[in-house]
Amino acid sequence: MRALDEKETTTVFEKLFKFTGPNLKHLLERPAVEGPDPQPGRYCLRLHKNRVYYASESLVRRATAVSRPRLAGVGTPIGKFTHGGSFHLTVHALDLLAAHARRRVWLKPDTERSFLFGNSVPKSSLARITENTKMNDGVVVMSMADVPLGFGIAARSAQDCRKADTNAVVVLHQSDAGEYLRREEELM
Amino acid sequence: MGKSSKKKNKVILPPQLPPDVDDDEVVVSDEDVEFFRGNEGHARALARLDRKSIDSYVTRVADHDEDEVERLYEERERRRKAAEALKPKKEQEDLEVDRVDALPVKTLQGELVFNTAKKARYDDSSSGVKSKSEDKGADAKQAAQKEWKAKFKKEKGDSKLRNVHAQTEAPNGKLQSKVLEEVKEELSAEELFEKKKAQLAEIGMSMLENPESNIRSLNDMLIICNDKDQKVVKLGLMSLLAVFRDIIPSYRIRQLTEKELTVEVSKDVKKMRYYEYTLLRSYKAYLQKLISLEKKSHFYTVAVRCMCTLLDTAPHFNFRESILASVVRNLSSPDDAVRKMCCETIRSLFINEGKHRGEATIEAVRLIADHVKLNDRQLHPNSIEVLLSLRFDEDLGKDETEVEKGKPKKNKRRQNQEVPKQLPMSDKKKTKHELISKARKEVDAELRAVSFTLDPKEKRSIQKETLAALFETYFRILKHSMSTSNSRGKAINVSSDVSHPLLAPCLEGLGKFSHLIDLGFMGELIACLKKLSGYSDHQFKILPDNTLSVSERLQCCIVAFKVWRSNLEALNVDLQDFFVQLFNLILEYRPERDHGEVLADALKTLLWEGKHQDMIRAAAFIKRLATFSLSFGSAEAIAALITLKHLLLKNSKCRNMLENDSGGGSLSCLVAKYDPEAKDPYLSGALASVLWELSLLQKHYDASVSSMASNILSMANLNPTQNPVPISNANPLEAYKDLSMERELSKPVNKMLPPNCKKMRRGKEFVSLSSDVLEKSDYRADGDELKEKLKNHFAVLRGISENERLRAELNHTLSSINLYKEYKKQKKKIARA
Repeated sequence: MRALDEKETTTVFEKLFKFTGPNLKHLLERPAVEGPDPQPGRYCLRLHKNRVYYASESLVRRATAVSRPRLAGVGTPIGKFTHGGSFHLTVHALDLLAAHARRRVWLKPDTERSFLFGNSVPKSSLARITENTKMNDGVVVMSMADVPLGFGIAARSAQDCRKADTNAVVVLHQSDAGEYLRREEELM
Repeated sequence: MGKSSKKKNKVILPPQLPPDVDDDEVVVSDEDVEFFRGNEGHARALARLDRKSIDSYVTRVADHDEDEVERLYEERERRRKAAEALKPKKEQEDLEVDRVDALPVKTLQGELVFNTAKKARYDDSSSGVKSKSEDKGADAKQAAQKEWKAKFKKEKGDSKLRNVHAQTEAPNGKLQSKVLEEVKEELSAEELFEKKKAQLAEIGMSMLENPESNIRSLNDMLIICNDKDQKVVKLGLMSLLAVFRDIIPSYRIRQLTEKELTVEVSKDVKKMRYYEYTLLRSYKAYLQKLISLEKKSHFYTVAVRCMCTLLDTAPHFNFRESILASVVRNLSSPDDAVRKMCCETIRSLFINEGKHRGEATIEAVRLIADHVKLNDRQLHPNSIEVLLSLRFDEDLGKDETEVEKGKPKKNKRRQNQEVPKQLPMSDKKKTKHELISKARKEVDAELRAVSFTLDPKEKRSIQKETLAALFETYFRILKHSMSTSNSRGKAINVSSDVSHPLLAPCLEGLGKFSHLIDLGFMGELIACLKKLSGYSDHQFKILPDNTLSVSERLQCCIVAFKVWRSNLEALNVDLQDFFVQLFNLILEYRPERDHGEVLADALKTLLWEGKHQDMIRAAAFIKRLATFSLSFGSAEAIAALITLKHLLLKNSKCRNMLENDSGGGSLSCLVAKYDPEAKDPYLSGALASVLWELSLLQKHYDASVSSMASNILSMANLNPTQNPVPISNANPLEAYKDLSMERELSKPVNKMLPPNCKKMRRGKEFVSLSSDVLEKSDYRADGDELKEKLKNHFAVLRGISENERLRAELNHTLSSINLYKEYKKQKKKIARA
């Protein structure tokens, strides 16, 4: 387990920034709520076995006591680095993103299932969309009951959505809560 | 006074006099020419006589004089009678006009009485300006009445004049000069004014009786308008206005083409053409007069009023453009009355489009647009508010498209049918057919030109252009206020009302016509509004660089919402940024400074009418509204509570906040601690808080607020699916209005101590709001007052401490004196001992 180097930090932050925008600052500066100490400090990012973890300082301090091969993970995993060096957010980051995201998309209740099976969001299943969503923005996909279902990349801006025909893809699928079932081994 | 020279003058002059009497008579030429011809002979004879008369002064001259004078008199009388016999036909009014001038001719000597009389009149009239200060800003409506009154007065004046004439006729020639002076004196300023009035009334009446034959007297009225006396000019303008209002035809007079001019026409047509031509010419002259007078301060109101009335009554007539231009220019005049008048006129122009087929509307809107552009948007808000009364026929567009869709089909079918039919037609038939169709087309075109209803196509194009001009104006204002609001950031103390007078009505207009905005503009418009409402991507640094007032920013939010709602009903869009803005603006609200109504309206449009709120945001708003309702008056509180209740009804999960259990459990998401000053509703952690404010509000002095609070609290005991019994169905805005009305009504009781109330309210704010917000508020305005108060306070404190010190000193001295006494006693004792 180690802290991210500069290059890795920029790639991770760029990815997160797509979703959170200026809220990224808040994501890292908020006081931590987890950890064994009464003052868990702030959150920080750690890299372990190509995965990036989001954990409080006190947790990280404790985790240093565990040897590298035996440490399974610390805090919340938010993504992983591929062999090519690019960074992918995983579904674990969903809660974190949902709380800080700026752009959201709400799905019609009967089309949630399709998204949870790993499909992209067509315009026909779109119930609501945040107003100034632009193309290639990161968006969090929510159910109408405000449960975050997954996240993806906006394929067209909110205004273009109006003109698009019903089958046009609005959000490109990146990750969804269904993965907990579909790719259980991979995730752990 | 050399009698010979005088005689000489006299002898030669009488022939010259007639042209001096009145210029109009020069036209009546036959008699004149005759007279002159005859007179030449006389003149020669007289010249001979004169030579003799130089030799001997008194007797001969007198003789000759008498003869000559008598002869001349006879001649002139004859001529005058002839002229009078001619006059009544054409210029009855003129005769009446000139009666005063003409009268002195009857004097025995026949001197230059005309000139003196005229001069006297002018002098009197000019002095009359000073002497009479009675206000005669004649109203257009009263003009007719005045004319009647004036007529009666005139009759009186006439009788007086007749007396004067009797006096002047009676005495001999030697007394004449004296009499003239008397006349001058008697013709006081007032009488002259009355006379003018009477004259105007006479002309006006005759015009109205028979405008066609008396059309030329418009000129005379115009001449009167050039008078030196301001009141006369005003009266003249008003009476001309009254005349024009009545005689302007219901069609537009167009210039005759050369071809038409060459064609022989009947007598009636000729007469008509002459009438129209004269009318148009004098109308033009009148307008030019008005426009020139508009620049003079004392005629300003009158001129503008005349133009407004003209525009109102005859928007279809010629020269509309120039009137419209000056009326629009005066829309933002500093004079309240003038501005109001212009606004009313333009408004009625917009509403009664039937009068001018909508053409004037376009022109007016365009002119306003140009006006706004030229004046760099620094105008009175009224000039834009006027645009609110524009009307657009919404069905027009639909009908048109349907008709167009239907048309080609029909045409095609008809063409298909007709083409085979036409083929077998003979040439003769064809030409006949063509002729018929041609004639029909012409008739149609003429009909259309005559009728006032427009065909939908034209109407549509007119509307299109009007809309374009309208939105051009609106967008220009928005853009401008956006660019300045950024640059203005540094100058903190610039009050926003001064620099953006047009923004508020502009936003209002955008809200009203939001359904007509082209979707292409939508994105930019929303971005613009967002910027104006003070939102920026870097939320943690917002607000200091935005100087629009809270109400204006709230209005931006409202407009954005309305625009989206009316256009994108199909796609449900979440205007998150505007919610964030509202969330922050609630904190900045100050009851005295900002309009509570706007806030209530914002709550209504954004939260109460909104379809769906997600949970976290709703919770944040609920918490903030509860805090808000604690800190302000009952009207604001009830608006907030109604919204709050609505949010709780829609989001049953948020009812957790009603439980007496802080922390929020599993719903609290990632933010575990409530942050009352959070800028982002998602990060405020409101779900982790408890709505303790409601139990305080239950004890509110206002019955409606306390009952609403307890109603909301009762929700906690119900199932998420159950809803409490509704108290009222009023929306926040209505409730706010109701309560603020009540407050207004009960104000007289409280009015005794308004400063106190203010202070108390402000004190509450101090409790409920953060120090950060307070620093930005109108803290500075109270600086002096505060300083004064503090000074007094510390002065009192200092006084007290000074007092204490003095007392302590006194005690000290007293005790030392006592001690000294004691010491003395003891000393005595010792001494005795």
